[in-house]
Amino acid sequence: MSKKPETKLTRRTFVAGTIGAAAAFSARPVLAAGKTLNVLSHKVHQTVLGSGDGDLLKDWLKAKDVEIAFTTFDSNPLQDRLFREASLKETEYGVGYLIDNRPTSQIAALFEPLEPYQKQDPIEDFADIAPGLVQGMTVDGKLIGIPVRHATQGLFYNEALLEEAGISAPPTTLEELIAQAKKTSFTSKAGTPVTGMVLASDLAVFPVMFARAYGGDFVSSDFKLVPNREAMESGLAALRGMFEAGSLPRSYATTKNDDQVTWLQQGRAAFTILPFARGAQLNNPEQSKYPGKIKAVEFPGSAAIKGKVAMASVVEAWAMAIPRNARDKALAWSFIKEVSSKRVTLGMAINGNGPVRVSTYADAGLKAKNALAAVEAKVLATARGAFPPFPEAARAQATFLEEVQLAVLGRKPVKDAVSAIIERVKPMMPA
Amino acid sequence: MQLPTTARLLPLLAPVHLLILSVIVLPSLYVVWLSLNMSSFGQAPSFVGLQNYVRVLADPAFHRALLNTVVLVVVAVHLELAVGLGMALLFASGLPFRRFLLVAVLAPYAVSEVTAVVMWRFLFDPDAGPITLALRALNLPTLDWSFEPSHAMTLIGLLTIWLHLPFTFVIVYAARLAIPAELYEAARIDGATRWQAFRRVTLPLLAPAMLIALLFRYIFAFRLFSEAWLLTKGGPARSTEVVAIYLYQEAFSFNAFGPAAATAWIMVVISLLLAGAYVLLLRRGGLAHAH
Repeated sequence: MSKKPETKLTRRTFVAGTIGAAAAFSARPVLAAGKTLNVLSHKVHQTVLGSGDGDLLKDWLKAKDVEIAFTTFDSNPLQDRLFREASLKETEYGVGYLIDNRPTSQIAALFEPLEPYQKQDPIEDFADIAPGLVQGMTVDGKLIGIPVRHATQGLFYNEALLEEAGISAPPTTLEELIAQAKKTSFTSKAGTPVTGMVLASDLAVFPVMFARAYGGDFVSSDFKLVPNREAMESGLAALRGMFEAGSLPRSYATTKNDDQVTWLQQGRAAFTILPFARGAQLNNPEQSKYPGKIKAVEFPGSAAIKGKVAMASVVEAWAMAIPRNARDKALAWSFIKEVSSKRVTLGMAINGNGPVRVSTYADAGLKAKNALAAVEAKVLATARGAFPPFPEAARAQATFLEEVQLAVLGRKPVKDAVSAIIERVKPMMPA
Repeated sequence: MQLPTTARLLPLLAPVHLLILSVIVLPSLYVVWLSLNMSSFGQAPSFVGLQNYVRVLADPAFHRALLNTVVLVVVAVHLELAVGLGMALLFASGLPFRRFLLVAVLAPYAVSEVTAVVMWRFLFDPDAGPITLALRALNLPTLDWSFEPSHAMTLIGLLTIWLHLPFTFVIVYAARLAIPAELYEAARIDGATRWQAFRRVTLPLLAPAMLIALLFRYIFAFRLFSEAWLLTKGGPARSTEVVAIYLYQEAFSFNAFGPAAATAWIMVVISLLLAGAYVLLLRRGGLAHAH
C-alpha cells in the first residue's frame, strides 16, 4: 500500500486555495471601508496630529468607532492624486488636503461646497480662523476647504556663523541682508566652506519674496502680471548680484528645498528662507550641528519700502476638502470639524503646525514651546500667497522660474529676463 | 470532426491576448483619444483634432527636449556599445577572477535608477562630492554639472551608460562566446593578424547581436527620464530637459492631458521609426552574417 504524505498539495486543492485566497483578498477593502476614513495628505499633516498617547484625535476615533487611513505624498504628487481621485465616479477618500494656490473654478467644482455643512453642524468659533486663509479657499463664492495649516516664510540665520563674521544682529533691510550674506561667504572656524545664503531654484517663493522686498510681485492678487517692473528687475538683480558674489551657491540651479534644511543644519550656509515651522527641525540636536543657534526673523524689505509698505512674505496654506464623489461625507465633515477645533489646532501647533486660528498664538504653552510663534504671527498678518490660482498657474510658474534662473546664472540680462517673463506669461493669464 | 488547429489553439492563447488588449491596446487607444481632445482636471474633454500635435511640434521647449534626447541617445548608446564590445572581448580573451569581475560588471543593472542617481549626486556633488574632491586634489578638471548644461548632459550620459552597460555587455558577450574557436584557428592558419581576425571574423559574427542591442537600447534610451529628472530636473532653465521630462511636465505639472498624450504618441512614432530603420538594417546586412 502506498503512503501519501498528508500535506501533499494536489492540483485541485491548489486551485481551490488560490480562488479562496483571491476571494478573501478582494473582500478585504469592502470589510475595511465601513469603519475607515481614508485621508489623502502630506506626511506632515499626519505627523502633527500625533500618535499613540499623544494622538490628538484619539477621543474622536473612539467616539466614532473609526480608523483613519492616511495616504501621504509630497505636495505636487498629492495634488495630482487628489484631483485624479476627485475626477472619478466615486472615491474611497473622504478628505483630501488642498494647497491654496490650486483651486481654479474647474478644480473647485470637484469638491463639496462646505457652507451647508457649516450651517448644519458648525465648526467651533469659525470666525477665529484667519479670514484671509478662509478667503483663499472660497472659489466662485463657495467655501471648498477649511484651512488647517499655513507655512509662512521667514528668514532663518545661523547666529554662530554671523558672530564669527563679526555681525551682531540679523538684517533689517534687504541691502543689509545682501551685505551680511557676502560677509558670511567664508570658511568657518570649523573648516566648512560657508555660502552666505542658500535658496532652492525650483520654487517661485524666493524670487517673489525678493520682488516684494522692492514693492513688486509676480502676479498680484488681482491678477496683474508683474505689476511693478522696476521692482521685479531690482529683485532679480539682487539675486544675480548675490550669485555673482558667491553669496548663493554655484549649484543654485540644482538646489532643492531639502538642501536648504541640510545646508543650514550643517553650517554650510548662513541664511535661508523657509517656513517658520521648520525652526524645530533646524535646531534639532540629533540633526543639526548648531542646535539653538538657528534663529528666524521677518524677511526684510528693501530700504526703499521700509516704513512705507509692509513687506508681504509668502504664505502657503493647506485646507481640508471633501471630494464631491466621496462615499461618506458626513464622516469626512466630522473629521474636519474635530481637526479644526481649538484644542486640536493648538495641539497641532505645539507639534510644529502653522496654526490657522488667531487665538492659538496667544496661548502661553505655545509661546513657551515655540520661540518663533510671536514673529510668525506678526509676519502672517501681512503675508499672502506666492500667486493666486488660475488654470495655467503651474505653467506660468515654470516659465517664470526658467527666466529667473537664466537671469541669476547670468545667461540673460535681468531686463531681458523680465521682458521675457511678461511676454511669455501674458498669454497664460486669465482673461 | 476535428476542429482546425487555429480554432483549437484560440482558447489557450486568449488569456494572453486579453492581457495585451487590456494593458496595452485599450490604454493606447485611450491615449489617442486624449491626444485629440483638450482636457484637464475638472474640465470636460473637448475635441480639438490634431491641434495638440501641432502645439507640441511647434513648441521650442519640445524642440530643445528632442534635440537633447537625440544627442544623449546617439552618444550614450554608441559609446555604451563600444565599451560593451571592448569588455566582452576582454572577458572572452580570458581574464583572471572572471566570475567576480562579471558580477562587478553586471551589478549596476541590479541597482534601482533612483538609488543610482542619489549615489551619483553624492559622488559628484560640486562642493563636497568625493569624486569632485579627488579630481580637484589631482588638479584635474571637475564636472560643473549644476551650472554648465553641457557638463550636466555629460553626467547624465555617463550615468545612463553605467546603468545600462550590463544589458549591452551581456548580449554582446553571449554572442562572442557563441563564435566557434575553429574560425579563429583557421584565420590564424591563413595568416590573419589579430586586427584582421577581429574585422573579418568577430565583427561580422557579432553584428546581429550588436544590432539587437542597439535597437533595444535606442528604444529604452529614448524614454530616458529618471537620470535627467532626479539629477537636474531638466535644469538649469530647462537646458537638460529630455522628451520624457517634457511629457511628465505637461501631464503631471501642468495637467494638460491633450498635449501630454500627443507627446507620448510622437515618442512612440519616433521610436517605431528608429526600430523600423534598425530592423531594415538587420534584414539587409546583419542577418547575412548570422550563419
